[in-house]
Amino acid sequence: MNGLFARTRAIATWQVTLGVALLVLGFLIAAQVRSEGPRVRYTSQERTPLVATALDLQAQQEALKTQLLAIRAEIQGYEQQGQGGAAITGQLNDQLQAARLSSGLVALQGPGLVIQLTDSSAAVPIDGNARDYLVSGDDVLAVIRALWLSGAEGIAVNGERLVVSSAIIDIGGSVLVNSAYLAPPYQVSAIGPAGMFDKLVREPGFVDFVKARAQTFGIGVSYATPASVDLPAYAGSVTLRYGKSAPTPEPSLAAP
Amino acid sequence: MRRGWRGKVAVGTVLLILGFLAVAQLRSQATDQALAQLSVQDLTELVANLTARNNQLRDDLRSLEMQRTTLQGAVQRGDSSAASIRNDLQRLLGWSGALGVSGAGVRISVAGSLPSDGINSLVNELWNAGAEAVSIDGIRLVPGLVVVGTGDSLEIGGSPLVPPLEILAIGQPETLAGSLTRAGGPIAQLAATYPQVTLAVSGQDLVQIKATDRSLAPVLGKPRL
Repeated sequence: MNGLFARTRAIATWQVTLGVALLVLGFLIAAQVRSEGPRVRYTSQERTPLVATALDLQAQQEALKTQLLAIRAEIQGYEQQGQGGAAITGQLNDQLQAARLSSGLVALQGPGLVIQLTDSSAAVPIDGNARDYLVSGDDVLAVIRALWLSGAEGIAVNGERLVVSSAIIDIGGSVLVNSAYLAPPYQVSAIGPAGMFDKLVREPGFVDFVKARAQTFGIGVSYATPASVDLPAYAGSVTLRYGKSAPTPEPSLAAP
Repeated sequence: MRRGWRGKVAVGTVLLILGFLAVAQLRSQATDQALAQLSVQDLTELVANLTARNNQLRDDLRSLEMQRTTLQGAVQRGDSSAASIRNDLQRLLGWSGALGVSGAGVRISVAGSLPSDGINSLVNELWNAGAEAVSIDGIRLVPGLVVVGTGDSLEIGGSPLVPPLEILAIGQPETLAGSLTRAGGPIAQLAATYPQVTLAVSGQDLVQIKATDRSLAPVLGKPRL
């Protein structure tokens, strides 16, 4: 009897854990193999290389953005080390840092909220259009515009910071922000004042969006108000290729 | 004792593989499945967009590398970096809207009663086509500014907009105009939806867009360290 208990105790430790883990492992491998099936069937001969190219380009874009942020940080470091004319350089550096902050090139954190948009889980009627049940670029734009109008001072969508030149476009029901492909669900994070959510839910554009998309097609709209919202720095082009800025006033050391 | 140690290693290894597979599965499914549902035409458009953005990022990286080399030399020689900082500052202030910008671009005239959604979609298309600065009736567009209202009571940032409207954008004129006027593009869609509205796009050798009068500095958001 004692031997039986001892055996049971032994099984109840690492062997049971290993068994459960192997079971889940098997399930995951099966899920992976099964998920390949429909994708392969769905993907035409033309589509397969295009999907692969898009995935490759997206991976390249992530790498380029990382490099861009790193080199910007390096340049900032060198600019702060400049020796000659230290007072003028210091003043210019302060102005540059303030400009970076105002332009979205610096990661921010502050009070705010996160709106999450998810594809509808409702069954698509036989005569319905499946795309109506997916979150579109227009849906994301409607939420972004309503947030700006509710007092947001900074917004990011799935980690893409919105800046002056940001465009949100829709390609076949897929959303691109700053020309970066984003997969659903879409989390729109905004830093703004305490009453931002109350303003948002009264904003006519948001009310129309909820009626037209959430109530009609079941697009999921949820929100969270974390203690602090993080917005990443914009990792993209800030170059003027066709435009030329007006000259900045020369800095002076005199008090303003 | 020895069997217990072996068991822990086995469990640890399996759990490691399990975690890796679970994350890989979730990540790849979200992206791959969404992409696999796109048509060939949509995928081609997506690839074109990603390629254009990546090329732009590569161009920017090249110029940043040159700037880094110049600055590195200046720091090693003990020179001032003021000139480089001033250039950076001017470019950034112009790009963000804090300074006026001038250059080639397009002019879009909007005559008739076009609702705010129509105007916002034109502006979104301009940014997507690579516009560097945009204004509506002299008001420089910056984050936070959205056109609201209907044709007779449009406003932006609290300022009324009275048709006919003039939208100016700086960027490559052919690209900007081509993006707006392409078959099935925003102008064609708006013309079909609002036949009473007249939209005209013309390339311009010189467009001048003034600075915004809004403060762009965040008040509640603090730099994340």
